[in-house]
Amino acid sequence: MGLNINKLKIEIMNRIIWLFSLLIMFSVGQKAIAFCGFYVAKAGATLFNNRSEVILVRDGERTVITMSNDFKGNVKDFAMVVPVPVVLQENQIRIANRNLFAKLDEYSGPRLVEYYDSNPCMPVFEYDMEEVSKSLFSNIPMAMNADMGSMELGVTIEAQYQIGEYDILILSAKESEGLKTWLIGNGYNIPATANEVLDPYIKSNMKFFVVKVNLEKSLEAGFDYLSPIQIEFNHDRFMLPIRLGMANANGAQDMVVYAFTRSGRIETTNYRTVKIPTDRNIPLFVEPRFGPFYKALFDKAYESEGKNAVFLEYAWNVSPSWGVKCDPCVGNPPIFNDFTEAGVNWIDQWGGSTVFFTRLHVRYTRDKFPQDLFFQVTPNQENFQGRYILSNPAEGDLSCDAGQNYLKDLEMKRKREIDELVSLTGWEDRYGSNYVLQYSNQIKNREKRNELLPVVNIDLPRGGGGLGIWIWLLFAGLITSAFYIAKRFRPVLA
Amino acid sequence: MEHTIQLKGKERTDLTILSLIKSGLKDARHFQILYLGLFIIYGISFLRWDLAPWRIGLIITTVLVTQMLFVAWKGGSLSSWKSALITGLGLSILMRANEPMTLVLGAFLAIAIKFVITHQGKHIFNPANFGIVAVMLITGDAWVSPGQWGSSVVLVYFIGAAALMVLLKVGRIDTSLMFIATVFFLEYLRTIVYLGWDWDVLFHKFSSGSFLLFSFFMITDPVTTPKNFWARMIWACAIGVLSFILSQWFFIHTAPIYALVIISPLTVLFNHFMKGKTFQWV
Repeated sequence: MGLNINKLKIEIMNRIIWLFSLLIMFSVGQKAIAFCGFYVAKAGATLFNNRSEVILVRDGERTVITMSNDFKGNVKDFAMVVPVPVVLQENQIRIANRNLFAKLDEYSGPRLVEYYDSNPCMPVFEYDMEEVSKSLFSNIPMAMNADMGSMELGVTIEAQYQIGEYDILILSAKESEGLKTWLIGNGYNIPATANEVLDPYIKSNMKFFVVKVNLEKSLEAGFDYLSPIQIEFNHDRFMLPIRLGMANANGAQDMVVYAFTRSGRIETTNYRTVKIPTDRNIPLFVEPRFGPFYKALFDKAYESEGKNAVFLEYAWNVSPSWGVKCDPCVGNPPIFNDFTEAGVNWIDQWGGSTVFFTRLHVRYTRDKFPQDLFFQVTPNQENFQGRYILSNPAEGDLSCDAGQNYLKDLEMKRKREIDELVSLTGWEDRYGSNYVLQYSNQIKNREKRNELLPVVNIDLPRGGGGLGIWIWLLFAGLITSAFYIAKRFRPVLA
Repeated sequence: MEHTIQLKGKERTDLTILSLIKSGLKDARHFQILYLGLFIIYGISFLRWDLAPWRIGLIITTVLVTQMLFVAWKGGSLSSWKSALITGLGLSILMRANEPMTLVLGAFLAIAIKFVITHQGKHIFNPANFGIVAVMLITGDAWVSPGQWGSSVVLVYFIGAAALMVLLKVGRIDTSLMFIATVFFLEYLRTIVYLGWDWDVLFHKFSSGSFLLFSFFMITDPVTTPKNFWARMIWACAIGVLSFILSQWFFIHTAPIYALVIISPLTVLFNHFMKGKTFQWV
């Protein structure tokens, strides 16, 4: 028994190091101490080590926050504290379906797409398109627990609920010392530095949503995981309190936010929201390494944006009445049931209204993110996705002139792909020359090139695109005419 | 002999360029145009703003055409295109919208308001400020991204230095400093003294590019600020207090631009009761 506890301690101490969280989690300190929050298993099982997921729904002042619960370990050791702006009523707290996170992740994750070049020596053009998609992340939700007493120390228990497998308290406190003493007195070990963060929240009139696992209910249910918790409230403050989770965190933590709004994208108002690099042509050999590729890409982007930007990974109009939900789709787009599950309450099954989906990915540290994340809903309805493109070379005999031109262009194109890969990920160029010269033995005459023959267009169209020169001429013309009219007709003022 | 003549000719051109630069330096608007232009280039290339060049073209075309048509109708200086261009650049930095027509409407309203609502021949609202607020409230299709600048020390220096050049010329640095001091004092009391956050939370707020740009380039418009020094102090202070209240208790992230629109009409009152010298651009 003693051995097991020691093992448990080591296990849990490891987690302290990996602690993430927009929330802090405190545990009952009878034996083990676990400050585990939205924590994801280490490399191997998932791509980003300290990653948490949150689903936000924002409509006017109505906010629904669903927090994934990826705690792994003994449910006894689980507890969490989330600052919330109001005292939540029982009907404002729900248990959400954990599959929702996996579904949204799969739907909106960065995608690898594959195209096939057609053979210019073949009479019939075939344009075959196939998509290769990789789900980058997976959820491994688990279980936990804590025990709690109650006593007065400037701390008021505003409400007490039993929901799903959780025992929930809503606390309000007068000052951080009182709250700290109360928590410690009730067997919670809180980090020394949490104190300085608790104070500002208390003074901002925030309440504390304290959760632990009800062991009996948990045993009854017989699950080996904990369900996501969903809370709902009305408040004009639209933010995620990440500072609390930093109280005892080491290193950077990743958070993925899935948001649903009525009007358009969400963005952070106190940090830059930038698009993740997208629509890049990358070499074929990346395919089996797409997970590490995207991770390296994200690392590089995070560094080059100064480690204090929030990344847009996906944005799409997912209204039931809207046509294309993704291009190409990696996972199934969310449907009516998913909206309801997430807390979207403004559409009916036939879908008259708009539902806009945004996926943000933020990696934060204490020094680069001193403030909590504040968001705003914008009317911005532009679709966006993180998409990376593989092009398979044409197959068959390429000895005709057009085929020879194609092969020469292919070398150039592959060289660009290698350059792109290096610049996106910072990886060393190890396979480059083999890849570029893979078909060089099929090129008969390097010097000769028949410029008259058409070359298969292997560049893919990219979104956006500028307007032609004529629009600039139109602008110039309008301005010139306006100046002329002003000069010619303006009345002379006394 | 030929050689000397050539030299003389060269000197002459140098003189002409110099005199051009000299006359250019007189008008502070040239600096504003230069700096705002640089900010846009910096924003697109380094901060990766999601802003297509043709949208900037559309906004600037609209402001210039609107300005010139109003000049043709109501009279005014032909050189007022510089003010209109500043408005256009300011709108390009701030105003985002889905529909191009929303941008056109915002740019049009910004200029039109200068000719429609005037007092003693001077406009009352800061044009870019009015345009963006009007279009956000009317269409619901426009927005401002206060986070687009991020927070960095380089940016503080960059914007600050540029601002200093312009504001020392037009003599409105007092307005900026008063506004910043007011907000800083209130934020200090609230964030540090009362709530107990660390200093870096406060510094993060004040190194926001959006805040600095507003402080140095928007509320300093010499035409729409009160003429009297003390009136300007009260005026800037009022904007500071109002934007602090709007951001702290109403969670309006673009609080300063709303505060400016609300306080702007008071300029008329200030100018009536507290006399000062009327500003002329050149």
